[in-house]
Amino acid sequence: MSLYEAPATTTGHLALPTDKTHSRSGSSYSGNYSFINMYDCPSPGSSHAVDPTVESELEELHLTEELNSAKRLGEVAEVDEGDEGDGQGQGQGQGQEADEDSSVKESDTSDSKDGTIVGSDTSGTNAGSQVSATMVGSSSVLSLARNSNISVSTRTSSIPFDPTSSILDISDQAVHDQVLKSNFDRYGFKKPSSEGSNGVSGERYNTWFKDYSRYLERNKKKWQALMKNNGLGEAESRTKPPNRFPPKSDKVKKLIRKGIPAEWRGNAWFFYAGGHEKLNKHTGVYEQIVRDTEGVHNKDTEVIERDLNRTFPDNIYFNKSLETKHLKDSQLNSSAGKEETQSIKSLRRVLVAFAHYQPHIGYCQSLNFLAGLLLLFMREERCFWMLVILTERIIPKVHSANLEGVHIDQGVLMLCIKEYIPQLWGILGKNFEGETLSEDKILTRLPPVTLVTSSWFMSVFVGNLPIETTLRVWDILWYEGSKSIFRISLTICKMCLEDTAFNSRGNVGSGAEIDQIELFQFMQNYPKTIIDPNILIDNCFKKIGGYGFGSLSQDEINKCREFVGKQRARLTSKKQSVMKAEMSDEERRALQSSGFDGEIHDVYGFHRSIMSGVAWNKNISNRMKKKWKK
Amino acid sequence: MSEAAERFAQFKLVLLGESAVGKSSIVHRFVKNTFDNMRESTIGAAFLTQSVHLAESNTTVKFEIWDTAGQERYKSLAPMYYRNANAALCVYDITSRSSFSKAQDWIKELKKQAPEGIVICLVGNKVDLKDEREVDEQEVAEYVEELNQEQSSAGAPAGKVILAECSAKSGDGVLETFNVIARALPVEDAVGGARNRQLRNKRSSGVDLSRGRQQQQSQAASSCC
Ligand SMILES: Nc1nc2c(ncn2[C@@H]2O[C@H](COP(=O)(O)OP(=O)(O)OP(=O)(O)O)[C@@H](O)[C@H]2O)c(=O)[nH]1
Ligand SMILES: [Mg+2]
Repeated sequence: MSLYEAPATTTGHLALPTDKTHSRSGSSYSGNYSFINMYDCPSPGSSHAVDPTVESELEELHLTEELNSAKRLGEVAEVDEGDEGDGQGQGQGQGQEADEDSSVKESDTSDSKDGTIVGSDTSGTNAGSQVSATMVGSSSVLSLARNSNISVSTRTSSIPFDPTSSILDISDQAVHDQVLKSNFDRYGFKKPSSEGSNGVSGERYNTWFKDYSRYLERNKKKWQALMKNNGLGEAESRTKPPNRFPPKSDKVKKLIRKGIPAEWRGNAWFFYAGGHEKLNKHTGVYEQIVRDTEGVHNKDTEVIERDLNRTFPDNIYFNKSLETKHLKDSQLNSSAGKEETQSIKSLRRVLVAFAHYQPHIGYCQSLNFLAGLLLLFMREERCFWMLVILTERIIPKVHSANLEGVHIDQGVLMLCIKEYIPQLWGILGKNFEGETLSEDKILTRLPPVTLVTSSWFMSVFVGNLPIETTLRVWDILWYEGSKSIFRISLTICKMCLEDTAFNSRGNVGSGAEIDQIELFQFMQNYPKTIIDPNILIDNCFKKIGGYGFGSLSQDEINKCREFVGKQRARLTSKKQSVMKAEMSDEERRALQSSGFDGEIHDVYGFHRSIMSGVAWNKNISNRMKKKWKK
Repeated sequence: MSEAAERFAQFKLVLLGESAVGKSSIVHRFVKNTFDNMRESTIGAAFLTQSVHLAESNTTVKFEIWDTAGQERYKSLAPMYYRNANAALCVYDITSRSSFSKAQDWIKELKKQAPEGIVICLVGNKVDLKDEREVDEQEVAEYVEELNQEQSSAGAPAGKVILAECSAKSGDGVLETFNVIARALPVEDAVGGARNRQLRNKRSSGVDLSRGRQQQQSQAASSCC
């Protein structure tokens, strides 16, 4: 199926991610672009949201599940050799739903009193069902339009469920060179124009890009070899992105950490996150919700509407005006700049449907960025289920109405920093009066730096890290689960600490006071400069500088989450019962700001001994200590 | 300017208000003098700094700006934002009634929870969109007047709400607003420029002096929310 089999209603050529030196209005362009359309085309004229292949996918799944349970019997648990041998459930699990994060119970609408995050992982036993390597899903079709005059075509709203997106195939030298010249990167994001708080300059981008594209080429070959070794049709992977991937293993994990080829990303994320299972269990559900929610107006849709145009305004697939901006002399009519792109329309449907499907979450700002990034790589139905998987299983409650999950995860992150990067804690962990916060206070009065780090969790680094770096983290996230967010966050913190600019600001070790705001600004802007993903990933997993965070286990994170969640819930209920009493504003303020909290702490003092179940990984702590002794 | 007389003061300013009223846009106009028609929504918070110089008192006032996310559910983070804040900008969009009542809610909350000496400024943004105005200037003025009268009859010190309008897009009124706030802050009490930086950054020095008395006793026990 090629692009040109798209329905006759096909109109509107999505902007070529290039600057105005490339005319996009058809015939004048004769470059050697290859565009990869990662999405299948729904049957023309059909108003159906659902991929016609879903049913066959479903059948396949049943078949393969049987096949796999038979296979599993003979399986040997894998060892996580890439890590520091903590041996506690680091991706050994092969089952899709049986991976570590499935031990996190789905959150519900009730409040968090009892801490619904429970338990440890199943240490690699394949308890769950497995979406197998033999699953055939034809829901992704790659279309190559070599030597074409028209770059990418988008469908009109008559086929609303397939926002076309493309990722430039930079293995083609001509395309590669065009990306270098262009103001836009291969995903359609505007390259930064000047050095500053918003990251890096276009020039620096290009220098990096030249090197990195060679890396990508080598990496793609490794992937192709892996696929071949797993009997996953080489031919298929040459012409279109594969829809099935090898089962989880150490080898695969290593390669995932090296990065998934961009044109395969959407399918690989979906596969390893357990998307096929989710989708097959809910055939037609998305379509139904979209129908039910059409034209709905409520608090959520109001906020969604305000956020649509504030989602990737620097990306051509989301911002029509970028297209016209560099196409001044095109024949397009002048209203083009005001139209919504297909991606914006998809984004609206996905977010509205999600708010409807997960009423205890509704719409939370930051979901727009998560959905937006997914939409660059997959069609909207899949995007929808990926959001569901993320919020149910990977980072539950982070987007809930009271954001309690964010607070809990920040508490966990702060405890980790205190334990594993004590030098940084010495700086971050201080309150405004220079007093270092103790464990008890971390949990209830999060240090203000968590205002910076919470967005790392809510947006899973979208907008915090440069795009390519974000994508590499996402490769790992969908495969390895939420511990990846903690590992990467700690790595960023560590890199901050080691940066000379930070050192000069922070006066590490000198005991001097630091301007908190400068510290926050630094922590906020620093990640945007990590343009080379390999530096971040290697720092995390390869122990650059003597230590990394690859051995921080999901089990440790889960136990810590449970601990923090429980303590916070206890404090909250205690606080509420005290505050319920009738008192004047004056009294309340006095109570709050005086001994009130201290009192609570005395009652519920979180002493180390109480942190039951939290076992720090001494391996990391000791390495840290060694390193900083020098 | 005479060196001996030049003074320096640093204050924490927090922006509050409904999503999309233009908080980040105002900050960017103030800090970088730029405006983007499409700015990404703020997740969590954003930190920036900018200084203004007050010629009449030869004082440089440095604002630590805490730009916040506007959606309702981020309110659980609010106490962290305005803890230790010296000034708060409650922003509404003059073309949206609901954003005005949201700003009123913020003022209520600040009066209840925030440090006592906090300077509150109620700002109507997007005045470039005059034709779409939904919030009447007169009405806002009356609301503020009433508020300030209550304040003084309750015998509370200072704490008058400042009223302003601006457009981040055109730039009208933005710098003026920050200047008015700077003047309302107790710079007189703040640490002089000759003092060393370290001292200034210690919250217990420069900023302590700039805030009301009562809330100080809390500090040892509570750093943030
Ligand atoms: N016409 C006009 N539009 C404005 C003005 N200020 C902001 N806007 C627009 O209003 C929208 C929202 O502005 P933001 O600065 O992102 O709003 P915010 O208050 O920071 O929103 P959150 O980050 O979601 O809390 C953007 O599309 C701006 O371009 C203004 O003065 N005039
Ligand atoms: Mg904002």
